[in-house]
Order: sequence, then structure tokens, then C-alpha cells
Amino acid sequence: MSITAETAKEHAHDPAVLCCRAEAGITIEPANLEDPAIFDDLVDSGLLCLDGCLTIEEVLGAKLTKTCDSLCPLTKDVLDGVNAPTTEAPAEEAEEVEEAPAAAPVAAAPLKIHIGEGKDINLEIPVGALGATGTAVAEVPAAAVATAAEEQEPKLIRSLTRKHFNITEVKRGPETKIEGTTLYIREGIEKECIDSQELVYDLKIDIITPEDYHTYSETIMDVQPIATKDGEDEIGSGITRVLDGVVMMVTGTDANGVQIGEFGSSEGYLDENIMWGRPGAPDKGEIFIKTQVTVKEGTNMERPGPLAAHTASDMITQEIREALKKVDESFVVNEEVFDQYRRPGKKKVVIVKEIMGQGAMHDNLILPVEPVGVLGARPNVDLGNVPVCVSPLEVLDGCIHALTCIGPASKEMSRHYWREPLVLEALHDEEIDLCGVIFVGSPQINAEKFYVSKRVGQVCEMLDVDGAFITTEGFGNNHIDFASHHEQIGKRGIPVVGLSFCAVQGALVVGNKYMTYMVDNNKSESGIENEVLACNTLCKEEAIRAIQMLKNAMGGEPVKAAEKKWNPNVKASNVEVIEGVTGEKIDLVKNEQSLPMSQKRKEKYD
Amino acid sequence: MKDLQYGDRIIRMEGVIVEVHDGSVGIDLKGRLGFLKVPMRMFISDYPIKVGQEVAWNMSFVEQLGPEVNEKYISNLDTYLRRQKEMREKNQNNKEV
Amino acid sequence: MGKVQILLRQHVGAPCAPCVEVGADVKKGTLIATPTGLGANIYASVYGTVTEITEDRIIIEAADEQPDEFVPIDVPEDASKLDMVKAAGVVGMGGAGFPTGVKLNINLAETPMGELNPEINPELPENFSIDCGYILINAAECEPGLEHNTQQIETQPDKVIRGIKYCMEITHAEKTIIAIKKKHHKAIKTLQKALENEPAITMHLLPDIYPMGEERAVVRECLGVNLDTMQLPSAARSVVVNVETACRVAEAIDEKRPCISKNLTVRGKLNGGNAAHVYMDVPIGVSVGELIERAGGIDGKYGEIIMGGAFTGKSTELDAPITKTTGAILVTIEFPDLHGANVGILVCACGGSEERMREIAEKMNGKVVSVCRCKQAIENKPGAPLKCLRPGNCPGQVKNNLQFKKDKCEYIIIGNCSDCSNTVMASGPKMGLKVFHQTDHVMRTVGHPLYRTLRVSKQVSQDIDF
Repeated sequence: MSITAETAKEHAHDPAVLCCRAEAGITIEPANLEDPAIFDDLVDSGLLCLDGCLTIEEVLGAKLTKTCDSLCPLTKDVLDGVNAPTTEAPAEEAEEVEEAPAAAPVAAAPLKIHIGEGKDINLEIPVGALGATGTAVAEVPAAAVATAAEEQEPKLIRSLTRKHFNITEVKRGPETKIEGTTLYIREGIEKECIDSQELVYDLKIDIITPEDYHTYSETIMDVQPIATKDGEDEIGSGITRVLDGVVMMVTGTDANGVQIGEFGSSEGYLDENIMWGRPGAPDKGEIFIKTQVTVKEGTNMERPGPLAAHTASDMITQEIREALKKVDESFVVNEEVFDQYRRPGKKKVVIVKEIMGQGAMHDNLILPVEPVGVLGARPNVDLGNVPVCVSPLEVLDGCIHALTCIGPASKEMSRHYWREPLVLEALHDEEIDLCGVIFVGSPQINAEKFYVSKRVGQVCEMLDVDGAFITTEGFGNNHIDFASHHEQIGKRGIPVVGLSFCAVQGALVVGNKYMTYMVDNNKSESGIENEVLACNTLCKEEAIRAIQMLKNAMGGEPVKAAEKKWNPNVKASNVEVIEGVTGEKIDLVKNEQSLPMSQKRKEKYD
Repeated sequence: MKDLQYGDRIIRMEGVIVEVHDGSVGIDLKGRLGFLKVPMRMFISDYPIKVGQEVAWNMSFVEQLGPEVNEKYISNLDTYLRRQKEMREKNQNNKEV
Repeated sequence: MGKVQILLRQHVGAPCAPCVEVGADVKKGTLIATPTGLGANIYASVYGTVTEITEDRIIIEAADEQPDEFVPIDVPEDASKLDMVKAAGVVGMGGAGFPTGVKLNINLAETPMGELNPEINPELPENFSIDCGYILINAAECEPGLEHNTQQIETQPDKVIRGIKYCMEITHAEKTIIAIKKKHHKAIKTLQKALENEPAITMHLLPDIYPMGEERAVVRECLGVNLDTMQLPSAARSVVVNVETACRVAEAIDEKRPCISKNLTVRGKLNGGNAAHVYMDVPIGVSVGELIERAGGIDGKYGEIIMGGAFTGKSTELDAPITKTTGAILVTIEFPDLHGANVGILVCACGGSEERMREIAEKMNGKVVSVCRCKQAIENKPGAPLKCLRPGNCPGQVKNNLQFKKDKCEYIIIGNCSDCSNTVMASGPKMGLKVFHQTDHVMRTVGHPLYRTLRVSKQVSQDIDF
């Protein structure tokens, strides 16, 4: 479509292409030029070749010397009086921040559009992505965060206290107990674990200390905190005791040696496969109590298999929990208090977390009795994947025991929920009123996806929220529900910010006009599933960007459309601008490039 | 990242579902062009999944990214196959006992 | 002739109220309905008897004898020329139907220049102004296949010029420009001769593309001013008058003749061939079927009958009556059968409404899955007919094509002007969209090139070099 003088100015350095047939002798005006926002699609579909094409600022006012047809790139040989190019304007965001000190930028995930040759267009274009101006930085001026007319007192709903006990050594012993900072795990407990589950043929416990990090491991199915409730306290309130310095790690194969959750493929040397410090991953220096479970052959891909492996491993955790309950208060090294406030008068927001529910290892146990336990929990597949409302503190207290599936880089393990960054950031943000978290499963069949998605929309309508976050882990058909949740919530007039791994490999399957605010969880160098555990999961830096974006969205500020192709600079620029505005440095997490590269093995079968 | 040379040569492929598991489906490509096993979440379904259903997707050609061999994968594969072999032998022995 | 049906609404504005009773004998020129608001008098177009008056029409059984004499309009001796035009019930005969008496009621000598939108007039200096009042005669006859306007110029140049002079006098316009397509060599030569001693009247030659006859396109071509969709030509100190309307003005003043007949072209899939049949002074209210019979009758199976031109006309039935604004009756060949394929329609101000486009899609047995609107098609108020911001100058169509692809269209039907159609063709077929134009069935019928890729220039030299 032809562009206005204003658009021409914004795109001064973009290629100049005729939108329509233009005759020799005319003077090039903005109305003669096609909107550069759609060039990527045209180039991809072979309709346009921009080689030698001049920029818009160069051609404006020049005289066309030859009659050219629509979509003709303007080159030197068809123009008279071409302007000299100027250098690219200084970073736009810097200027804008100066003009509007309250400016808060936002990131937009690039949405890939694929146009098949004449048929099977399988990716949609979000509204605005084509018509709007696609610049590298999606940003919004002036955050219009609600400052309510009258300041109302925040209301404390409940608190959760985490009491931390430090563990520096894990040993085997005659009984499971904690002595000082040493955790003993009862010898022979393996047999009981094996016997408890019909499908479990074998279970081995490995205690991995930092010195042993360079050890081969089967696919990591889950990483779990070891924690227990105090007395009669329930998940989400009261006191939780948790062990520092040690995590549970579940791995396994079937009796034929095939990985449980075959597609996991994070097997290999632990130190090469774990993105340390991610919310869901172990921290460097922690000791892993690693179970290697062998389940009946052929059940690795069936629902009971992974569940049996988790349940068997949880027997060990449960015994540690019992021991933890008995440890004297004097060993508490740290106490953390999480207060859940409602903030009347602030913009009310909800976090919708999409969890997997396609079946087998694509499942999650919801609300166990103990943090990340098994007992008392209901698998969300059995619940029909319908939305389940929980408090933010329940999330942080391990109300999800994740069976986790694929892929290793983007899956949210049980520990992820325990340290969920978006919940933490939103909980502590005094400018918004976080009313709760909704978990919704992602069923396999599309009709079921829309069924649960409509319920999510209805819940949000009843909650009367001013804004919503939607997060999803991994990629694949869960993006269909992800899009549908956006639509269901968005069509009720509620602004929605979506968080997902997208980048290159996780490009959204579908889109709709409500998917205008997107934050990409990608941190890998090339935007792909890099098989490094938890590398591309939601981190604090995404949470900060998403919250800023939702505040702007609720203030009615538009977000600039994303570029067509994934461009990691979008995130970098946005982070930079947030830092500029808030004055706070955002420490970006590292990616797989920080890990040791595989060494050529000197001997085979070492 | 290396650009694909033929990445835009999109071909419609068809196949038949030959395995249905709780967590994955196995698909034989028509014309004996191969076998594909995909986890459930990478499979888009409008109906209950059954063996014998026909499926289709677009794909392009598989290209090598380079001549180098990634030792990490060799190592993993060796270990993996060795373990599988060991376990199978063990199962065999157990059954004989 | 039999039954003649005279519609009570043949113009822009409210329907007229009948002022005759059933059973009344009427003559050519008997006043039978008067305006209730904006409108124009309606006269009986034949001798006969009123047999029925319904909500929307007066039905007259025509007498066997139809003498040429008519009842002159009833105006006082000292009536002004404008009053005569009003009394005669003249409306814009080019198709718009705006009451001419209202349109000409303007003093162009004192009309200031309107404020121009700089966005669409980048080449004009800031304080651009037009030197004097202009009458712009629309002789573009832009709908393809029509010939009655051009023929009238060729056969009645004196009447055309008389009409022009009356319009100039009434509106205090100093100059007139006749806008005519350069391809009409004979008409241009005729005018050239007739205008030898008329320095105030000149011609502007138009290229043969669609649309040139759109009111604001005429203003742009003749005066170089782009009006926005809400502006009237008066903003460019001008009034646009169709060539036939000018003649009706001359008749009203010179002969006191009421507006009771219409010139039109009947063409299409008719016995005897697809050449144009031009009928001058057809009594208003005569049925479509009667005119088709007069032209030879329909030749076998046909697609549809269109009243009006291929772009802006509507499908009609054999017993529908013609009105003061009917320019053509077109009988088309049969529609192609798309066998229920997915169809996208591109609605634009130049062609049919969305309703009309959907009708064509349905007649082609296509399933409409996507509707796009040309970026320049502006709806001034909800429901009002679309107006093009820059008639004949395309704003780009690739984005619409991308949308059609996304919506899985196999075919698209477009109603665009020559320039926009050309743009659609630049990307549509490469994307795998099969393009139909809403006028295809008419163009094939009359042997006119289809609207696809533009092969002629939008500029023509003003020299009479033929």
C-alpha cells in the first residue's frame, strides 16, 4: 500500500519500491511507494528482489525516467536526481526516552510468516505486523501505569515463609537423616522404590557433587527442590522447610535402554547440558541426588511409565522430607517471607500459565500435599486440562510437579515453578494488583484446546482483570492454545502479553489480532532448541520486559510490530531502554556459549 | 547459523500413522520414504488419533550443515547404544533364569 | 408500448409524491409527481391512462398513438433559466441523478476556492487558486461499451454548446472545459469545428482508462486539483455536468421541454451481434425487455442483464423500467463456473458494491471467503457509497493479495479501475491467485479488452494530432 509522508520519513533508510505502475516523467512521492513493512514477505515469496534498490530518502523528489510497473524496486538507472543518502539516524530509542522520561519500552517477539508457494499458508500475520511500521525496536512511549485516583492501602492476603537448611554433603547411611549439614540417604531404599511401582524394574541413586559434574547422564526428566511443609501447613501458606545446596534430579530409560520421554535428548555430560542458574535448572555448586529409573520396556512413551518413574523417585524425596521436618530450628540459615498483597486501586492482572497436557510425559501433577510431591496431586490430564486457579504463593510453594517432556531447553521443570520469575516479579510489583495464577493444560486435540481456552476467557471475564500474562513452555501444538487464550482474553477487551520461546524454531504456529504483545523467552545464540536444559525458559529479564509491556498495554499504548524474521537485537535494544528509563541494570543471563564444549573423547567407551 | 540452500523448496509429504503412544505418534512416510516419530505436542490433531489415519505436512530437503562430526553426539550415541545392548542382554539373562 | 412504469425516485433525494389519480389521462409532459424534499419533478413520458399507483411507482397504460408533441413546462413568462431547469425535472443523466436545478444554483464567480488537502496535492503551490468559475462537461463516457454520449456530441453539437452556455450563464462561470476521451476522433473533430468561435469553451482530452468520468477525476484531469472524498467540485470553483444533462438543460430552456426521455445504449449478447444500439429520447418508464426486443432480442442463453455500465451498474430484470439515470442495458454471456472454489473479493469505489461483488461471486458459483477493500475506497458515512480518494491512481494492492492468500482464496474477483487492476495483476497471479474482474463477462460479451494489465499511458497529449 502506498505510504504517507510520515511513513516515508520513518522508513527513510528502507528500500524504495513502487507500489503501483508509474509512468516516466513523474516525480517520486510517498504515494508512489510501497510500505516497507511487507517487503520481507514479498522477498520470501519471490515477488521482490531488492538488489541495487535505493532507499526511500534517496528517491523522494527524483524523476522517474522509465515507466515501471507495480513492485518495481527503484534503482539508479530509472531515476534522475537521486538524493545523497544520509547516515542512519542515531538510535531511535535514545531520542524517544529523552522526550518522554516515563517511556517504557517493550519487546515484541518476532512472528514468522511463511507463505507457501500458492497454498498451505500455515502462519498468520498478527494485525499491525504488516501495516504498521516494523522497526527493530518495539517500544511504547510513556508508561501509563494506573495511578488510581485515590491511594488505597494494599491488603495482605497471606504469607509464606521459606526456612532454608543448608546441605554441604550427601551420604548413604543406615537411615535417612540430616545431621548438621550432612544428608544421609538410607541404604537399600532403592528396593522399596522399585517394589512400590509395578512398572519400575530398577532404580539407581547417584550422588553427583560438583567434582562429578562431568558425568554422563540419561535425559534429565526433572529437577526438583527438596522441601516440606511444617506441621499442618498447606501448600501456599505457612512455613515451608527447604534444603539448600541439593536438588533431586529424575532420569531414566525403559528396560531396553530407551529414554523415558524419548525426545528429551538432554543426555550426555551434565556440565555440558545444563544451563546453570535458570529458574528450573540446578545452580552451579549444588549436589544432585540423581535417580536413574528403569521402567518396563515400551512404557517410556506411555502414560504410566514416566509417572511411575516420578512416583518411585518421590519415595526418596518423601523420606528426606520426613527427616527435614525433624531438623532443629537452630539449623535454619536463611528465612524468606513471601507476602501476597492485593493492591486495590491498581491495575488488576492475572497470570495464565499454560502447562502441557497432551498425555504421557506431557503432563503435570497439580497441588500435591508436599511441595513438588506426588501424593494428593491430580494430573491435569485427568482434570481434563481445564483451568485451575491457584494463588501466586501456591506456585512458589511447589504446587506443580512437572513430568516435563520436550524440549530440554524450553521445558519448565518442577523447580521452575518454585522460582517462577514472572510470578515473583508481579508479586513484588507495587504498581499492579496480581490477583492470582491460572494453570491451564494443553490437550492434544484442537477441539479440546478450544474447549479449555474458552474457559480461560470466561474466568478472566469473571475476574474483571485489566490485563493478563499468558506463558507457555516449549513449542509445538501448545501454541495453538496459546493463540486461542490470547483471543479469548483479548476479545473481552483485556490486554494480553504473551511469553513463549519463539525465536527461529519455535515460531508461532498461528496468530490472531490479539497477539500484539509478545515476549520471546529465547536466549540461545541461534534461536533454536539447543538441547541445553532450561536455556530458553522464562527468566527474570523476560518477566521485567513482560510486566513493562503489560503496563503499557493497559495504558493503551501501542506496541510497534515485530520484524518478520527473528532478530535478537530487538530484545537487546529493549533491555537497554528499560535500563535507561528505570536506571537499574538488568543482568542478562548467559546462554549455552558459556558452557564447556564437548571434548573429543580420547578413548572410546571410557 | 548456516543458511539452508534448499530451505524454501517446500514439498508436501504424506504419511500414515503406524504407531500411537500416549506421548508420541509414529508415521510411515508414503512411498517408503522413511519413518517419522514425533512427540504429541508437535502433532496437530483435530480428531482422536488412530493407526491408519493419513497425515500430511510440508517439508524440505535435509542438508548437511558441514563435514565436521560432533563428538558429543558420537559419544552420546555410543553410550546410549551400549547401554541399550547391555540392558537387552540383561533382560535376556533374566528371562533365562 | 403497453405499460410504462415511472419510478417515484429517479434522483438523489427523497421519492416524489404522486399528483395524479388512478384513471387520469396523461399526455407527454403532464406533471405526475413532485418532490417532497431534495428531488425533481416527474412528468408522464407518454400519452395514456394512469392504471395504478404503488408505493414506488406510477403505472401508465400507454395509448396506441404517441404524437411527438408534449405539454411544455408550466412556468411564468418571466421565469429565470434556473427556474426552468428546476421545473423541467432535469437530473444528472450520467448516472448520479443529482437534481440539476440544485447543482446549478451556485454563483461560481463568488465561490471561493476550497481548502485543498496537501497530502493528495503535493505538486500544487500552497496558495493555489483557480482563476474563475468553470463548467466541466463530462463527456468521458467512461463505462466501456457505451456510445450514446459520444453520438450525441457527433450529431447535436449545437445543442450541447447551447446547454453549456446556459449552464455558464446560470452559474456565472467564465469558462468551460469539455472532458472527452481522445479515442473519440469524430466527436472531437465535430466539437473542434463547433468551438471555432467559442474562446471560452475548450476541450481536455482524456486517456482511455477507467475511471475518467468520476466527478472528481474530471476535476483533476481538467483543473489539476485533487479533491478529497467529502469535497464537491465547487471547492475547485467548478460544476461538473454530464453532456446529456447539458442538452436537457438546453431543451428545458429553449423548448420548455420537461425531462421525460433518456438516451441510452443497449448492447450485448443480442440477435444480430454485439454492436452498440444507441437509442435517443427513449421515454422514461419503458421496460428493459422492450428495449432489448427493440435491439433484436437476447441471443440464446445469457448470464445476466445489467442496468447501467459494467462497473457501476446493477443486475436487473426484463420488466424493470428505465429511469432518468439509466445509461445502458447490457446482456452478458454466461458466467464461468468456479465449482464452489474459495473466492476473495476486492471491493473498490470504482466498481460494484460489496453486495454486487458477492452477487457476481455467487453467479460464478464461488464461495466468498475473504473480502478486502481498496485502501483508497472511503466510506464518507456508514452505508454511503464508497468514494475513491485518488480515482484512477492506485494505492498499491499487494497487502490485499497477501490477505487473500492467507484466507486461502483460489480466485479473486476485483472491481478496480485500470490502474489498480494493473497492480493486482503485478502480484496476484505470481502468488497463485486467479484473477477475475467484475466486468469480465461484459467485456467478453462486447469484445472489449479485459481489465488486467495496463498497457496504455495515463497521460495523453492534448494535441488533436489525428
